[in-house]
Amino acid sequence: MWIKRILLLAPTIVSLFLLQSYLWVPTFEDQVKGDPRRLTRYIETSIGDASILNPTLAADSASGAINSLVFEGLIDRDFDLSFRGRLAESWDVFEEAYLVVDDAQELPDGTPVAVDTLLRFLERARASGEPALQLVQKMELLPGRSTVEQIEVATPGPELAKPKKRPVEVTVHQPPRLKFTLREVDQDFFVKLNRLLNGYVDRIDPSRFVEAAEPTVTRQQAAALIPAVEHNPVIIFRLRKGVLFHDGHEFDSGDVRFTYDVIMAPQNLSPRAPDFEPVKSVELLGRYGVAITYKRLFQPGFERWGMGILPEHLLNRKQLKAEAVGAGRDPDSFSVRDSSFNRAPIGTGPFRFVEWKTDQFIRLNRFKNYWEGPPNIQQYLFRIIPDLLTAELTFYAGTSDAYGAQPHQVERLQDDPRFQAFSRLGLGYTYIGYNMRRPIFQDVKVRKALGMAINVQDIIDYVLYGQAERTTGPYPKQTDFYDPAVKPLPYDPEEALRLLGEAGWTRNAEGWLEKDGKPLAFTLITNLGNEIRKAVMVVAQNAWRRLGIKVETLVMEWAVFINERVDKGDFDALILGWSMGLDADLYQIFHSSQTGHFQLNFVGYKNSEADDLMIRIRKEYNHERQVAMARRLHRIIAEDQPYTFLFVGKGLTLLDRKLVRMVWDRDGTARYLPIVPDKLGRINFHFNQWVKTPHPVLTAH
Amino acid sequence: MLSALLRIGWKKLWTLFFVSVVSFAVIHLAPGEPSQIDPLNPRFTPEVLQRYRKAFDLDKPLPIQYIRFYRKFFTGELRSFKDNQPVLPKIIERFWNSFPLFVVGTILVWCYAFPLGIASAIRRNSLFDKVTTVVVFALISVPGFYLAYLLIIFVVQNFHVDVIGLRTFGREGVGTFWTIMDRTWHLVLPSVLGATAGIAILSRYVRSQMLEVINSDYVRTARAKGLSEDAVLYKHALRNALLPFVTMLALLIPGLIGGSVIIEYIFAWPGIGRLGYEAILSRDYPIVVSLNFIAAVLTLIGTLLSDILYMVADPRIRLEKAE
Repeated sequence: MWIKRILLLAPTIVSLFLLQSYLWVPTFEDQVKGDPRRLTRYIETSIGDASILNPTLAADSASGAINSLVFEGLIDRDFDLSFRGRLAESWDVFEEAYLVVDDAQELPDGTPVAVDTLLRFLERARASGEPALQLVQKMELLPGRSTVEQIEVATPGPELAKPKKRPVEVTVHQPPRLKFTLREVDQDFFVKLNRLLNGYVDRIDPSRFVEAAEPTVTRQQAAALIPAVEHNPVIIFRLRKGVLFHDGHEFDSGDVRFTYDVIMAPQNLSPRAPDFEPVKSVELLGRYGVAITYKRLFQPGFERWGMGILPEHLLNRKQLKAEAVGAGRDPDSFSVRDSSFNRAPIGTGPFRFVEWKTDQFIRLNRFKNYWEGPPNIQQYLFRIIPDLLTAELTFYAGTSDAYGAQPHQVERLQDDPRFQAFSRLGLGYTYIGYNMRRPIFQDVKVRKALGMAINVQDIIDYVLYGQAERTTGPYPKQTDFYDPAVKPLPYDPEEALRLLGEAGWTRNAEGWLEKDGKPLAFTLITNLGNEIRKAVMVVAQNAWRRLGIKVETLVMEWAVFINERVDKGDFDALILGWSMGLDADLYQIFHSSQTGHFQLNFVGYKNSEADDLMIRIRKEYNHERQVAMARRLHRIIAEDQPYTFLFVGKGLTLLDRKLVRMVWDRDGTARYLPIVPDKLGRINFHFNQWVKTPHPVLTAH
Repeated sequence: MLSALLRIGWKKLWTLFFVSVVSFAVIHLAPGEPSQIDPLNPRFTPEVLQRYRKAFDLDKPLPIQYIRFYRKFFTGELRSFKDNQPVLPKIIERFWNSFPLFVVGTILVWCYAFPLGIASAIRRNSLFDKVTTVVVFALISVPGFYLAYLLIIFVVQNFHVDVIGLRTFGREGVGTFWTIMDRTWHLVLPSVLGATAGIAILSRYVRSQMLEVINSDYVRTARAKGLSEDAVLYKHALRNALLPFVTMLALLIPGLIGGSVIIEYIFAWPGIGRLGYEAILSRDYPIVVSLNFIAAVLTLIGTLLSDILYMVADPRIRLEKAE
């Protein structure tokens, strides 16, 4: 019966065909040892694919990993986290400051202020060694001028909450201004000058210079049009000569300005745009220099020049138009975001882009003409394996060179002789935040008591398998801004109970804490999908309940959690984490002006001393002074406990044993050195020196 | 006949319209925004977030968004939020990656389910039947990802070969034959895993269909005629038992775009299931809604085809004449 035969034969044949394919597949041994090219390749695995290979447009970490190899910025962080020049050889930071000449006032000696009297007065003071002017290199006079501008003024509408806005034309009489060139940035320059001039700066009334048909222009609006004083920090970058893009074109100052223009052009939707918003102008100083002037004091702006530089000759208007026409799209709306460049990038970095198979791998080859000399690794492969278990197996099999161990695996793997292991402290911390708009959390004693009731060390030991460290404040522990002298809250439930008693919360007959007949009760929330936060939540709830606090918990889907609760300030306490940068700016997270809806100080923290510090920190260009203020801020925040700061996670990276660093001595012999993590804990700081040797002979370090 | 088909087609178009509205509304009414719009990023100002919303049309009322979306969809201008690539080429690329998995998986299901189902039906209550029943139910109940991990660890530890991805990673410059075999090998585990549940379920259907037919009158008649057991079973019984499965063939069509999320995820397979899954996580509306829409179209085509196939296969069923 042929049907019967088919029914039996078909599965047999199919199975045999599928299984015999095994015979033609290379084993791991063939791939690792049998292929000499494997020694020249470095393979990294990632759970997610890159999205856009253009540093000005990408915001995800996978794209960032590739972009940092293909592109290079003007500066980056050195081994000790200080700045070092990359495409820029060196730089200078100084300040240009402006002061309005207000002829309605008098000088301290009684003469009326005029263009020449003010300048002469200051010249004399400088000549006599006045300390307020000691940083001044140059003073010059800028003439005034009048312009007509449109501004929006508010008319009180029927609803007070939402006044109507309408445009009004105003004539702005820009008075003459004095321009000071300062050797270095000084945020207190005008404070000192004000003192020298007996309060002249404070008395300047900007509304005098703004003329409107109706008297509806407020003083603030006038001040925005005619600021009495202005700080314009300037960075001069001297660029490295002879640096080539991967296509052989030489890098120059035009590329720097072009990159800035790409970021700022609204149609490109660059997520980096806010980083560069404080920039007033980017001027070219010949082929190998740029002067960047800022609108205001903003120290974190400096670090942003680590942004990878794009090649202007491949992405300028003309090129984009040609590409749009070739692709049959509208040349006028075609932006850098639409360009195929983002899938085949060309930069000046140590690695050259070769190939990208979406959700499979990205291949880079070393760039032979890299200005610092080509990397030792010839090929870099970024393989996308979404599942952690298969990524782990791939690493064990030797077909990838690095693996980020999960906390529970660390104990088993950190001393495994097959690999080299590097433990690294992260940049993010997990915290419990208290909504200080709620009356119960307004008392610092309550917040402190809640923190003391939680045994954070237990959380670290049992929830995180020891893969975390305690933190006491908002800065990453590796930075100078973190004050190591701040002690973490001790685990002391009895002291916690005593503090709560001081705050008026006492135990009732049933053992629950209450004040004026009201029980101490609140809800602790966190987002779905983070098992660690969920575990912390249970630990906290349990610890607080033992004190006699009625704590409810709720785990919510991320979008609901953020949009309905966090952004609207509609919560009691929450568990979240911040991932920090390396700058000292905490303005968005802790400044009292940032407590509105959809702002990031959602716990409603307010402290006027902290506010001042946060503003001064972002304006301070001197590292030591900034560190001193940041540490002070750290102490204040630790004292106020708007959050219970819990822990910073640690990560263990495993590397193939064969990977070492190879550097060339002056006499031309190769020296092998071990891979060492930098101050931040990054192991790939010397990535360009990495090499794979079957039997490395390490030189003593 | 033709007018009946037109009538059905018209009805399906209406269904498609409603599906398009519902699938568009569901994803937009679900909480959350595209991952590009990250309100918790301290470096993002409200202006930047607004700029994104405007560029993604999210600042407009839903009906306008709907119209703009489908206009872009049909003119091919629709782009993914994630990488700004056109949606249709992206889906097509992923489709061809998932296609071999689908084909091999389907072949495995149909090759194994029928012999298994028929054999257990014929030997009803025998040891073979009982063992297959237990195994089949075990396969239905075991979660796919668990089985996948067991299989991967087993194969990797005992046979020392690569099993994830489309092909052995980093293997270049080998002949076409080796490449084909390499790719075939990489299909084995994921398609076997994808097929297990299918084999288990389909074989149960086959068994019960077969049992029903075996006990019917005409089979008894055939036996009474003195036909051999094989002729009775495979010629008379099987043919009639197969009838419902003809329709299932057509219903496979929507599976073309489904892809298996878990299998593709574990095996690092750059297929359509993973595309959809990652798009949902990052709220990449253009990809999610497009996949939904295409799936709806394929489902409707599938049901249409199955109606026609059934008509062809079973002469008792005829479309009633239009009034």
